[in-house]
Amino acid sequence: MGKYSIGEFEEVVLLAVAILFENAYGISIKKEIENRLDRKVSVGAMRTALNRLEDKGYLESEFGEATAIRGGKRKRFFKVTPYGKMALEKVMETRKQLWEAIPAIAFDFKFV
Amino acid sequence: MNPEKRFHVASPPRWVDRILQWFCAEEVIETLQGDLHELHRKRAQSHSKFKADFYFILEVLDVCRLFALKRKSRSNSNYTAMFKNYFKVAWRNLFKYKMYSSLKIGGFAIGISAFLLISLFVKDELSYDKNYKNGHRIYRVLNVSSDPSDPGKGTAFPAEIAAVIRDNFPEVEKAGRIIPYPGWWDSGNNQFRREDQKQNTYEEGFAYLDQDLLEILEIPMVYGDRTRALEKPNSMVISKSKADKYFPGEDPVGQTIILNEDESTPFLIGGVMEDFHTNAHLQFDFFITLTGKEFWPGEQTNWCCWNYNPYLLVKEGTDPGDLEDKLLLIRDNFIVKYALEQGDKRAEETKQYFSLELQPVSDIHLKSADIHDAVTRGDIRIVWLFVAIAGFVLLLGCINFINLSTAKSANRAKEVGLRKVVGSRRWHLVQQFLSESMMFSAISVIIGLLLAWIMLPFFNLLSGKILFIPWMAYWFAPLILIFIMFIGLLAGLYPSLYLSAFRPIDVLKGSLSQGSKSSKLRAAMVIFQFTTSIVLIVGAFMVHRQMDFILNKKLGFDKEQVLMIQGTNTLGDKLPVFKDELLTLSQVQNASVSDYLPVTGTKRDGNSFWKDGRSKMDEGINAQRWYVDGDYIDTMGIKLLEGRGFSDMASDSSAIIINQTMVKKLKLENPVGAKIMNWQTWNVIGVIEDFHFQSMKKEEIGALSLVRGNFGSVLSVKLRTIDMVGTMQSVNSVWEEFMPNQHIRYTFLDDNFTQMYGDVKRTANVFTAFSVLAIIVASLGLFGLSAFMVEQRGKEISIRKVLGASFQVIFQILTLNFLKMIVISLVIAVPLGYLIMEEWLAGFKYRIPIGWEVFAIAGIMVLFIAMATVSYESIRAAVVNPTKGLRSD
Repeated sequence: MGKYSIGEFEEVVLLAVAILFENAYGISIKKEIENRLDRKVSVGAMRTALNRLEDKGYLESEFGEATAIRGGKRKRFFKVTPYGKMALEKVMETRKQLWEAIPAIAFDFKFV
Repeated sequence: MNPEKRFHVASPPRWVDRILQWFCAEEVIETLQGDLHELHRKRAQSHSKFKADFYFILEVLDVCRLFALKRKSRSNSNYTAMFKNYFKVAWRNLFKYKMYSSLKIGGFAIGISAFLLISLFVKDELSYDKNYKNGHRIYRVLNVSSDPSDPGKGTAFPAEIAAVIRDNFPEVEKAGRIIPYPGWWDSGNNQFRREDQKQNTYEEGFAYLDQDLLEILEIPMVYGDRTRALEKPNSMVISKSKADKYFPGEDPVGQTIILNEDESTPFLIGGVMEDFHTNAHLQFDFFITLTGKEFWPGEQTNWCCWNYNPYLLVKEGTDPGDLEDKLLLIRDNFIVKYALEQGDKRAEETKQYFSLELQPVSDIHLKSADIHDAVTRGDIRIVWLFVAIAGFVLLLGCINFINLSTAKSANRAKEVGLRKVVGSRRWHLVQQFLSESMMFSAISVIIGLLLAWIMLPFFNLLSGKILFIPWMAYWFAPLILIFIMFIGLLAGLYPSLYLSAFRPIDVLKGSLSQGSKSSKLRAAMVIFQFTTSIVLIVGAFMVHRQMDFILNKKLGFDKEQVLMIQGTNTLGDKLPVFKDELLTLSQVQNASVSDYLPVTGTKRDGNSFWKDGRSKMDEGINAQRWYVDGDYIDTMGIKLLEGRGFSDMASDSSAIIINQTMVKKLKLENPVGAKIMNWQTWNVIGVIEDFHFQSMKKEEIGALSLVRGNFGSVLSVKLRTIDMVGTMQSVNSVWEEFMPNQHIRYTFLDDNFTQMYGDVKRTANVFTAFSVLAIIVASLGLFGLSAFMVEQRGKEISIRKVLGASFQVIFQILTLNFLKMIVISLVIAVPLGYLIMEEWLAGFKYRIPIGWEVFAIAGIMVLFIAMATVSYESIRAAVVNPTKGLRSD
């Protein structure tokens, strides 16, 4: 992976943030992943991933408005940085290269 | 309506929220809490409040992750700041009053190390036989006699016991027997060699064992099958370490072993077991199977002879009490029946007195003091005694801390006053002084641990154990932490309450008298310390004296310079020639062949004797019958009172020599020439003086008889030499001529004799060590108090000197107080020590009286030590130039 180190779950979170664009905060990201990928996401796990992504510089965040539903607490909105975009592209590219390197016969299961 | 109320229905439980706030770092709390609240709210709407709350709790637990937790450096509440300050002040005080601090810590550390060592000892004692998977179902069977003429408990039963129990009691899953008695055929020790090798080696730790017992005791196997290892006749199981010794690097199962050069019965190795853990009550290296074993024709079904120790594995849910009642069947159907067949008049009485008891295997090590058995074991009373002593030494250390802290309280009074003025509550000050004592206790525990670690090898020597500090055990560090808190609390509670109670107005006005308030309490504690010390010293003296008394008591035989050459049975026919050859050496005075010797670990043979022809009418007396040769009496230095010793006359095959006790018990009026009987009739040809052939701890001298025999595996040689090394060389060269393939092995009778009293010796050593520690701790405290006293009365002394007081007067003033305390301690300690020692000595059959001189010596010793301690500061004060004391302020 070189200098763009990113885990599978982190990748998913990063992509979800990109999809949601200006509406990416804790709960919406969680929902997005749960709906699209049909998997359960815990608040703690997602938070850990978001923090790490921010530490690595793939994400940046700012505070939004406070609402009553959140007990008067502000949201933190996330945005993918250009650096984050490069990381995602790099990941996709490596995958692609790997796929192309697979000989056709390897996945030819007909006569096995 | 307040805005929070509106959302009350849907808001998550407050307490969970608080937990979240408590552990969450400030920078993540807001968004995190917001997310969780939002989720909660949504769930509450779509599902139910209960479900939402439930998930909320789960989620809060889930977010307990590294990113969310508070960092130490970030939190900076007043609370932690205050604690920092407390520790800083404590640390400064520690260095400001270096002497008092080191006295406090020193006493503490000594007490703690003593306590730690004893804890290790106790932990080891309590760990015996706790590791069986089915431990709660394993029992040892005991025979209990409540007969007033011969009460007691034992472990031995006739051979058939296990089969009878197995066949008649369905609740018993397995029953197995062991013969642990050294000297019973091949039980005990033997000359051991592989069949394919010539060299014999002496090995100890043999016992006869049933296949079933191998399984009951869950003996772990290295090679072979536990369920079949002892199945075949003449099979044998050996320990891992012995297998490594004789069969390095190979699986010895199926190999053949020769014992004592007896090639007619080779033994087949059926398995190799792990070495016994040191905390198992049985410790053997070789098990010889009992399968198909019959020691004499009909032995296995004869209820005459009690030599087998049975163990049971009962089925789950069996009540031992019920089973004990049912086992009485054995008494009625076998034991009484046999007695009736033998025409024993007291057969019916057996029913009244005899019962069977089941002892859980985990109780064997510590709770068998009243049981006659063949295993070495601990004594729960010794364990408690040690715990008590260690507890006292620790307490003495705590008392030092309390005394010095309260005595020096004046130094802290201003601080307390000031803290209160600027707003400290009493609780805060208690916290402060507690944290201070915690700090002292932590330092002391660390030093104490180091001390314990250094002293451990010596302690192992004292206690006869192999202990180590379990540094790496998972419970060790938490336990030490708890220990630190406990000690800190124990020692710090009173001083902290005392110091925090100062009223600021008194302190700041300076009207608080310098720490004199609790001098009575301090005096009481010093008295307690010295009482404890004196009792311990008295104890140490008494234990030592009792031991000397036993070791030097007139025994009735001469244990000095008797060499016991072991394993002479392998000489076979050459034994008499070897003996004659030895007798030609000038240093050898006498020699005798016999396995029966007046030290434990040698052969014994209990028999019933009657006057001739009265076996059906009288109750038999219990007496030992020892096979000895003609030179035994001379070699052992036993005194012949009447009649003669054995000669080579053929008629001596039925001759018997008896001791005084036996004469008395049999009520013989003219013993020499009388006839007595057991299985056969014997002619009494001589009477010997009683000699001690058992441990003097419990038993009086029993009845004993000597009969003629010329066999045995021990040749006792009476030497008369000052050059022991040279003598041993000559003896060895004679041996080598006869047995080039077997090393000579010998012990000295007096060494074996001393070993019999090893536990008394250990108790004595531990007592001594701990009484020394106690007096050191107490002296440290006393030294601190006297230094404080001198410091406090410095001006008074100076003025007295200026006014013309002499050195003696000053010295008297300063020491009289302490002298009084010591005298009071002595007054309390004398009756207390007397009672305790009386109790301990009651366990001995042959004991010393408690003389007043022991108390006198202990008293003078303590007085001397205390005075020496106090004098140092007092003399310094008495000789110092008074201007020095008056110059300051």
